[in-house]
Amino acid sequence: MRPENYQAVQLGESNEYEIFIGPNHPGIEGNYAFRLQLDGDIVIKGTADAGYLHRGFEKLMEGRLWIQNLAIVPRICVPDPAPMEVVYSMAVEEIMGIQAPTRAQWIRVMQLELSRVAAHLFTFGGHAATVGMYTPMFWGVADRDLVLDLFEDFTGGRVYSIYNIPGGVRRELPDGFLQKVSNLLDYLESRQDDYDNLLFGNKIFVNRAKGVGTLSKKEALELGVTGPNLRACGLPFDIRKNDPYLVYEQLDFDIPTQAAGNAMARILVRRDELFQSIRILRQVIEKLPSIKGPIRTTIPNPLSWNVQAGEAYTRVESSKGELAYYVVSNGSDKPYRVHVRGPSSMHAVQTLEYLAKGARLEDIAQTMFSLDACPPEVDR
Amino acid sequence: MKKELLIKQQKRSNPLAHVFDDFIGFCQSKSLFMLHYCTGCGAIELPPAMTSRFDMERLGIQPMVTPRQADILLITGYVSIKTLKRVILTYEQMQSPKYVIGICSCTVNGGMYWQSYATAKKLNEYMPVDVYIAGCMPRPEAVIEGLKRLKNNIMQDKKQHKGSAWKDYYKNYDYYLGNQQHLFGDDWQTPVDVIAEAKLYGLEGEGTYGKNTDKLKKVQQPLLPQEMKL
Amino acid sequence: MNAMNNKSIDEILAKVNGIKITHKRARRIRVDVAADSLTTVLELIKGQASYVHLSAISCVDWIDDNQFELVYHVWSYEENCLISAHTRIDREEAKFVSVYDLYKPADFFERDIFEMFGIFFIGSPRMEKFILTEWYGMPPMRKDFDSEAYVQETFNWTEYNPDWLQEITEQGGGIAIKPEEIRMAGQLHNMSTHREREKAKKDHVVGKGWKS
Repeated sequence: MRPENYQAVQLGESNEYEIFIGPNHPGIEGNYAFRLQLDGDIVIKGTADAGYLHRGFEKLMEGRLWIQNLAIVPRICVPDPAPMEVVYSMAVEEIMGIQAPTRAQWIRVMQLELSRVAAHLFTFGGHAATVGMYTPMFWGVADRDLVLDLFEDFTGGRVYSIYNIPGGVRRELPDGFLQKVSNLLDYLESRQDDYDNLLFGNKIFVNRAKGVGTLSKKEALELGVTGPNLRACGLPFDIRKNDPYLVYEQLDFDIPTQAAGNAMARILVRRDELFQSIRILRQVIEKLPSIKGPIRTTIPNPLSWNVQAGEAYTRVESSKGELAYYVVSNGSDKPYRVHVRGPSSMHAVQTLEYLAKGARLEDIAQTMFSLDACPPEVDR
Repeated sequence: MKKELLIKQQKRSNPLAHVFDDFIGFCQSKSLFMLHYCTGCGAIELPPAMTSRFDMERLGIQPMVTPRQADILLITGYVSIKTLKRVILTYEQMQSPKYVIGICSCTVNGGMYWQSYATAKKLNEYMPVDVYIAGCMPRPEAVIEGLKRLKNNIMQDKKQHKGSAWKDYYKNYDYYLGNQQHLFGDDWQTPVDVIAEAKLYGLEGEGTYGKNTDKLKKVQQPLLPQEMKL
Repeated sequence: MNAMNNKSIDEILAKVNGIKITHKRARRIRVDVAADSLTTVLELIKGQASYVHLSAISCVDWIDDNQFELVYHVWSYEENCLISAHTRIDREEAKFVSVYDLYKPADFFERDIFEMFGIFFIGSPRMEKFILTEWYGMPPMRKDFDSEAYVQETFNWTEYNPDWLQEITEQGGGIAIKPEEIRMAGQLHNMSTHREREKAKKDHVVGKGWKS
């Protein structure tokens, strides 16, 4: 039990020391570093250090054709690559003034929600491992593998699917696919009690996770926090409802929120979102067989395709928060500027430094995993 | 002033020593600790390879957090230049015999980021690589296939000389150091004294010294404690 | 409801000099304003119209016009609308004022633009390198930095000579254009003809890179 208003006492300069939670560390998600200045067990100041995954994406994208960029775009966010392709395709479609046909939009929703299910299952394992429980990681990764099998079935790739193209999707769904999705959703719902017993209702985990990394509503809005982290503070803002894209206006789902704003609230919001995604997927599976039509709007020959001059800013709710692309075209066959705004730019840098002040050393790893910070999005 | 390490490598006189070498090779290949350094994208297919579906632990391979106790350094994916410095430091901190596996096509020839100013193209130039596993990204079954090949190489090292790429780092240190200096500048140094280790293992040769090691001698300083600068 | 909100944006911002407002589609408004009135615009929409969420600050390098364009994307949770405020600054003297006191997320974006483009933001708390801490060349996202030329100069490629290619080479065939000679990314502007690229290849000078 730790008192909520513990103040760090400055005992003089000689008691402070600095450690470096460096890039090769199991308590850091991905390849990222964090310098801490400590006084005993209490952190006085933390500074983030990024750049270990920098590839210069925005420069690379300026040197490739519009269609060649689809191959590198999913690699910006490694655990959850599907929203990246969708938001790039939507931006190019907005500049060109075309729209994907209805059937393609429903298939895109299915792809996005399956990706959200897979990403949340991965996060449960990561978050529990920072507390010392290693079983949820095995369960989460094994269940995620079943979702990746589905991805391989209809797109051809387990992780990086490259299934979208400006104008629609590339291939039709195989026969019997919707039945497989339905079977998987039944299986996941049957596991709900097991996960609750192991992780969400487990007294050990609850006692460790509540009281860690608390954010109030005002602080969350000021720091630019979005996604499940914002909904865990009590604010029901979701891009799928506020700024609807694709066919989300026709679907029926809730926005789960919690009030506490700490690590326990965040993981509970992700758990509820997973079951809401299952609800959305069931509606999509029901509706899809009755929507017939093409899956692609025709675009000119991709190898010599000049998109007219213009710009677009599209936003999508990925599993980590608000993902936005600003695409500028000047009429040639390559993009002029693509700016990627990943949700972890706010979470992993400013929010983590803000929450590290006054925290205990053993809670830093849990704070980072509970914010679901993904370093490739920070570095691009 | 640095003291020279005066270690003499004794020749083995027992004619049955090679039997023990085979046995040791057999045992080593069955129990390897891998250092899971998520250097890039490929790290997302490592948890499926480690957990219960494509279990890696039945091959005897287990993850380990510190490089001092690890045998295999897994470079999963591309290596950005900032990470490359840390990877070289980590590689030199590992105890011999050590093995490097380059997963994904980015370690072979730059892969998808070949035009990028911030990634290393050819990992073989900076440290010796034992096995490459191609793919973008390779499936967990492919990762396990690559690890099985590494185990075979280690087990039959005496006959085929394929499992001892770590010796190449000592034998040709001048070449590797030259590539590292070309990228990072002439004042690149690491805390590990590679030449003394080469003498300890009896592996120094004419490729160990050269003009690059002369440059290193001029700039090498002992490790000082870092000041806190926050 | 939407029409009433958009009209009130027009009213609020009508007092600013030289402003141009375009309603692009539902929930997207574009505002073009001169560089010295940008902070006024942001203060007005934050204070009077509840635009509290700064989504991103983007920068575009218009090298032909010798200008940088800064775009501030601001979202309102109450009105569910996004305003993108565009402004242009001079490319030689790359300086602008920071909006950190209005929006805290600006800290990250301004630091990012500083190291990628070289624009200095006056008043921003941390104007230092963050991602490219060990890079000593010119700001890499500028259009006059050629990433591919730097790569061809600094790095070597693996020899690619499998058996089947050796057989073909012995019979007189082989690779027509070697990988070292393929140039994909044009310099400066997006050049799409091979002729322009070949001509520009000879003029480019590669500067410092990761060496200190």
